[in-house]
Amino acid sequence: MLYSSLLFIYGFLPLSLLIYIITPESLKKTVLFILSMIFCALNSLKFLEFMIIYTFINYIAGAFIWILREKKALSAVPMFMGILFDVVMIFTFRTESFAFLKKNIPEEFFPLGISFFTLSAIGYLIDIYKRRIRAERNFIKFGLYLMMFPKIIMGPIVSYNTFKRMFKSHKSDLSEMGIGFTIFVKGLVKKVVAADTMYMLYTAVKNVDIWKMPFINAWLGMTAYMLCLYFTLSGFADMGTGIGYCFGFRFPQSFNYPVFSTKIRNFVSNWHIQIVSWFRRYVSKPLCKLGESRFYRNVIYIMTWCVIGLWYRFDANGLLWGCFIGLSVVVEKLFGRTKLLKATGIIYTYAVIMICAVFLSGESISYSFNYLLAMLGGNKIFADSLTLYLLKYYTLLLLICTYFSTNLFRNMVMRSGKTKLRMIMGIFSPIMTVFLLAICTALISYNGISEMILMKL
Amino acid sequence: MKKSKLSDKITAVLIIIFIFSFLILTVFREKKEYSLSENRSLAPYPHFSVQSLEDGSYIRELEAYMADHFAYRDEWVSAKASIESDMCEKIVNGVYIDDERLLNADISDCSISAENITALNKFTEDYSGTVYFTAVPTSTGVYGDILPEYLFLDTEKNQMDSLYTSLDESIRKIDTYNILKMLNDNYIYYRNDTKLTSYGAYYVYRTIIQKLGFLPSSYDKYTIKHITSDFRGNLYSRCLYNGVKPDIIDVYSYSGGAEITNCTAYKNNGMSYRKKLNDTDFLEGDMYRMYLGEEEPFIRIKTSVNNEKKLLLIKDSYADCFIQFLIQHYSEIAVISPEHMEKNISYFVDPNNYEQTLFLFGIDSMENEKLFELINK
Repeated sequence: MLYSSLLFIYGFLPLSLLIYIITPESLKKTVLFILSMIFCALNSLKFLEFMIIYTFINYIAGAFIWILREKKALSAVPMFMGILFDVVMIFTFRTESFAFLKKNIPEEFFPLGISFFTLSAIGYLIDIYKRRIRAERNFIKFGLYLMMFPKIIMGPIVSYNTFKRMFKSHKSDLSEMGIGFTIFVKGLVKKVVAADTMYMLYTAVKNVDIWKMPFINAWLGMTAYMLCLYFTLSGFADMGTGIGYCFGFRFPQSFNYPVFSTKIRNFVSNWHIQIVSWFRRYVSKPLCKLGESRFYRNVIYIMTWCVIGLWYRFDANGLLWGCFIGLSVVVEKLFGRTKLLKATGIIYTYAVIMICAVFLSGESISYSFNYLLAMLGGNKIFADSLTLYLLKYYTLLLLICTYFSTNLFRNMVMRSGKTKLRMIMGIFSPIMTVFLLAICTALISYNGISEMILMKL
Repeated sequence: MKKSKLSDKITAVLIIIFIFSFLILTVFREKKEYSLSENRSLAPYPHFSVQSLEDGSYIRELEAYMADHFAYRDEWVSAKASIESDMCEKIVNGVYIDDERLLNADISDCSISAENITALNKFTEDYSGTVYFTAVPTSTGVYGDILPEYLFLDTEKNQMDSLYTSLDESIRKIDTYNILKMLNDNYIYYRNDTKLTSYGAYYVYRTIIQKLGFLPSSYDKYTIKHITSDFRGNLYSRCLYNGVKPDIIDVYSYSGGAEITNCTAYKNNGMSYRKKLNDTDFLEGDMYRMYLGEEEPFIRIKTSVNNEKKLLLIKDSYADCFIQFLIQHYSEIAVISPEHMEKNISYFVDPNNYEQTLFLFGIDSMENEKLFELINK
């Protein structure tokens, strides 16, 4: 069950919200944990079994690290064991390796969100080892950290410390719920309207022979892919965040309008913020301590992005994507003094990001290079009849998607201050939210679900 | 700040009302088993078991159940078609939406199954009479040039050519593609369905009957009756798009000609009953069934023609409106629908009692590899 399904929106979500509201304050956590277990079980019982074992092993590992905290060397043992387990699990399900572990598990079984909660779990273990936090005694609390249903599917990930603080400041009331629904519907629109249509455009472009792909189509297709990826990931993150708000948890924002930035550095710092900062915190920072030189730090930076690339896509394509992104940031820093006009900055950042995205999207390295050739005009075709057709039907949509992938709209509302615009927005936004929910319902009504997720993370 | 809090509260209340009203409407809605507009059975409530929960099939079925029985499903789906066709490409659930007509655009990987060709050749080998074969294009084959270029690859024409060449030489192939393509300014295909209209079927009949050794009856001999002008076909059922005009179903009757003296349908369990052709009772459900009524594996039609000529017609639904033209030429027509056969053909009829066998299929049926599984002994 994904968040973008009728059964979730018109079944699980309202019922669980109702149950949650009527339970007394002292039992709320337990009830939320049970609801999350039901959510897992509704995906499949296997998923619940997996999650419980997974949570339990990490819980035990955390407890052992804490018990042995006085002896640094000894406490590293449970930490490494725990991390090893998490890493083996993610490799088992995301790649073909460790196939013997999957013997009793049906082939189509995939614990959706594993890439996200693995990061949460590893971060938790390292934090205990570093004595930033205590091990959690309460299994339910820790279980919620990994399994809470608003965040389990590609939802926002936070460090355990932040999570605990969110728990303390947790409050659910009607206006909080209103914010939650607004964010949820925003995420749903991103997924169902933007990502799904951009995916159609991308597949329409890709449908032709790569050797005959015209220049314009190649750029259209890659723009569509990038927007589709952005709207899928941020859509799910928003839906998760929105549900979190409904239950009184203020999750942080995952994306801060990265796609059209003036610098690659801005793209990097606004893209999938919690994921990127997780890798910075647990991968690059410890390594940076080992060396001082600028060269060494740059190498570490690029390497971290290679790992992030592998996190998105575990093969040479993902590696290359990460590598190129890291490399372009480093190069940009070297020329950091060069003043650029805002428009020039946006164009050059866009071009670099698109060229990198070719590697994230292509099914193989050779395909990606062929695609790149098409983007550079190597096929010697500028446009064809398909270009006209696609431009005719997608230009408006592309413009709208582009507009909403920038912060222009938000800034307009924010800067308006106490003027009329804000009041109009206040009146307009509730109606708009319901209207958009209705649109999304119509769009998923045929299959009952919008399943395209682009990447199994 | 105060304002935005108020507006958040209003949002919360409105959304809660919206979601809960559809939840309640869905739960207490009268559950139908069959959707007339979509012309298909709706998903049943899934059977609960630990096994089905374990492998996740329970939840998948529950999702399908929820989608099929969601309150005002038809309206939602129609709205989806309108929104999608306005918003971007005019393709909804694999159906291309043009102002004039709907077309199947889901033609990515269709290919004619080799099993069918083998079965047809085998049938011809064992058969004493002459075999005629016709594949009828779908509306996409005839009107496909209005599709966006990347979807229209002229596959049906190529499929037909390769099919005709791979069939045994003793099978007489009758091409209908060119004549239909030539006439495509006329109302030869339904706007909301992939199939031929009676008018289109008349031209197919003209082509075929000459090859079968008869002179075709001229068009003005027929009295044409409009049975309904509200027909929505299989393409409509897939997208529920209301913007294309509904279709007209016609019945052609030959004034003063031969009549049906006996029409009997046979079921897979051996039961048989008298069948009424062009039965307007069927206009309540899937209107296209009006021609032949309930789908049966075998129908035997006897006519008042006195020429002792007998035809075995092996067909799919494309031929339903075609049969009305054959009545003037044969004293007996045996109609076999392999899609509905559960038993071997010899259970119903011995092909060797018929000197001519005509295969008449929509080209899209030939993708079904099990189609001719039971036509050989």
